[in-house]
Amino acid sequence: MTRRIRPLLLAASLTALPAAASTPAQRGLVVFQQVCAACHGMEHVDYGDMTALGLSPDDIRKWAADQDLPDGVDDNGDPKTRHATPSDPILSPYPNAAVGRLANHGLLPPDLSRLVLTLPGGADEIRQILLSYAPTPPGVKLDEGRYYNTALKWKHIGMPPPLQDGMLTYPDGTRATSVQMANDVSAFLDWVAHPHQSERRRIGLYVLAYLALMALLTFLLQRRVWSSRR
Amino acid sequence: MAQSETPPSPDGTKRRDLLATGTLALGCAGACALSVPFLNSLKNPAATPLSDNTLEVDLSTLAPGQNMTVQWRDWPVFIQRRTPQILAALQAPGHLATLRDADSKILQQPKDATNWHRSVRPEYGVLIGVCTHLGCVPTFDKPSSAPDAEGGYFCPCHGSHFDAAGRVVQRAPAPYNLPVPPVTFLSDTKIRIGHSAGDPGFSMSDIQQI
Amino acid sequence: MPSPDRMPDTEPSGWLDRRFPVTGFLRREYVAFPMPRNLNALWSFGAFLIVTMAFMIASGLFLAINYTPDITQAFASVETIDRQIPSGWFIRGLHMGGVTMLFACLYIHLGRGLWYGSYKAPRELLWLTGLGLMLMIMVTAFAGYVLPWGQMSYWGATVVLNAVHAIPLIGHPLSELLLGGETLGNIALRRLFVLHFTMAFAILGVIALHVAALHVVKSNNPTGIDPTSPAQTLPFHPYYTSRDGFALCLFLMVYAGLVFFLPGLLTLADNYIQANPLITPRDIRPEWYFAPFYAILRAVPSRLGGLILAIGSLAVLFALPWMDRSSIRPATRRPLVRFSLPLAFASFILLGIAGMHPPTETWLIVSRVAMAWWFIHFLLVMPLASEREIPS
Repeated sequence: MTRRIRPLLLAASLTALPAAASTPAQRGLVVFQQVCAACHGMEHVDYGDMTALGLSPDDIRKWAADQDLPDGVDDNGDPKTRHATPSDPILSPYPNAAVGRLANHGLLPPDLSRLVLTLPGGADEIRQILLSYAPTPPGVKLDEGRYYNTALKWKHIGMPPPLQDGMLTYPDGTRATSVQMANDVSAFLDWVAHPHQSERRRIGLYVLAYLALMALLTFLLQRRVWSSRR
Repeated sequence: MAQSETPPSPDGTKRRDLLATGTLALGCAGACALSVPFLNSLKNPAATPLSDNTLEVDLSTLAPGQNMTVQWRDWPVFIQRRTPQILAALQAPGHLATLRDADSKILQQPKDATNWHRSVRPEYGVLIGVCTHLGCVPTFDKPSSAPDAEGGYFCPCHGSHFDAAGRVVQRAPAPYNLPVPPVTFLSDTKIRIGHSAGDPGFSMSDIQQI
Repeated sequence: MPSPDRMPDTEPSGWLDRRFPVTGFLRREYVAFPMPRNLNALWSFGAFLIVTMAFMIASGLFLAINYTPDITQAFASVETIDRQIPSGWFIRGLHMGGVTMLFACLYIHLGRGLWYGSYKAPRELLWLTGLGLMLMIMVTAFAGYVLPWGQMSYWGATVVLNAVHAIPLIGHPLSELLLGGETLGNIALRRLFVLHFTMAFAILGVIALHVAALHVVKSNNPTGIDPTSPAQTLPFHPYYTSRDGFALCLFLMVYAGLVFFLPGLLTLADNYIQANPLITPRDIRPEWYFAPFYAILRAVPSRLGGLILAIGSLAVLFALPWMDRSSIRPATRRPLVRFSLPLAFASFILLGIAGMHPPTETWLIVSRVAMAWWFIHFLLVMPLASEREIPS
């Protein structure tokens, strides 16, 4: 069932790409939109947060509008939906966990908001998992909906191999190999887990420089005061 | 106690004073800089260029003489379908003489609503229902409730009267006419509030007062 | 210097002081205030604590503006602070880093008091208010840690809740009073939020008492002999203001390093997963500042016994001014205490390390030995040393 839905979802999400994706995180966003978003959400991340990756307001609006959210009931008491707006979270395509499990052999695709922080190994581990699919060796019997993957302790995972060479076209012309996409999407998820990290470090340097200067001045002041002690 | 005096400075007072003053000034500057992120966090998070501030309203169920209220950007917006009687009343010279700003000279509406009916099309009036006095929501005086009513608005807080085009009468405490939002007609019975086709540059932050 | 009460009205401070003696108070308590000449860097940690507390209150207020005390929304509202509120990541970082700085300074400040005998007459009330502050800060920190409603918040609180249940008779009523039920839910979250918020200001009040007590009995010093003449003292300003100012800059550099460069160092990743009452995280451990007490809780096979000993490890500190009858203050001049006290400090640190590791056989033995020494030091060595020791 999942296999049949995915191309449809994929086609639906083929809108709204960053104009010229260039950094790994920006290219990773393209991979997320076209591949990951078919099953995963990032419930604490808003569409609007993607401005920080250089996605234009129009592209964000267009991307958000692909998602329908429940919006109370209409005059006949039937459930209504509305298009998502930039201030809405990037939810998974499944309306609830039960549907998500049903569509994925009983396993719920995890939310990606903080996955890099909560998955031991972080972004590297995600990259490894994406690149470690292999044909099931003879003699190994996996349950239905399980895929052979050497990066995991038990050598199998519920996520079907998501990446294939050339499955998407990067707007900046980078060749979309599996390795390239795995690198990019793990960089993107790393950014998603702590979106303010570069700003945090940049400001931190200024703060430390300021405090170092203050330490120097107060040190001189202190020495002067104490040297005149009777 | 003699000890509390500032210790004497053998090598010139001036340099130390510069050091002390400079350190103090820089310390204060740092404290001020620290307040910036705190104040920054109080900004309105909805005020981003991303927020989509348009609302489409279907007018097909609105009968002549009726008034409906929709919510746009947290404001109540009155949409009124005017009868010929209301339109006639809006132009009556006797009525115009009682108004504070009959010609809508003060910027309380987009350019395409700066006219005698203060709307894009005479038969529909769209007004933001926030009294320009102290922000209460005026109530609609239905033409049906009193035969001579002209379909105006009355503010319950301090008794300001507005006519059907939202123009305030002279003796009211409210200083300005009711604001008109930017409106575009998508079809004869569908409008989009939040964008004005006749005055694309119009923004609600330009008006005199809401 | 003329006394402020006799200053002419022509001086602005004289006018104000006659009506409200604030400048005179500041001059007396913070400018002319006599300080021992020989204080070392450890005496700056009180100033660090005041500054950290100010950061905690300021950042806490701004966090409270954006926080929702509701189990369905608490986690998301914290994520919103971290991601979408302008500068929210900084304010939350200050608060999270601040806890670590607060406890680090608190333990060092306390350790200095132990080492230099600052708890002895006439400073018993200074010591007791300080310990009271520590308990209040611990309660506040515990309540605050539950608020983000992550996995560690939930399960940490659950463990503490069950420890409280072990108290005979009052255990269950107490937890019901605090949590409004037997398990953690919405009522509990709201109560803990109000507790956290209110305690912060109660702490400010007790800090005022602590500082007032200090200004009555004045600072101890490394020799433990109080200055007897004005010649042995220095005015607080400019001597200790300039020195504390310098020390504060160094302290803030460490604090800033934590906030800006190592925000994840002291948080447990599992707290970025929303609380789930059906799944306990694999390696559940407390924040580092509670680790020593958690280690004691685990080291004792009995639930009630562990709780009694964890509380007892703090209670011995309250009793210390009366257990230690020696008139000599600093450990440096007491041959027995000079060896025993550093071992007690090491025990505390070992307990902390043990508390952050899984309870393997080795760590349990380490915990038990360290815990035993902690109690031996305070309950046996200190009273005995008071009697037997020959001061050097």
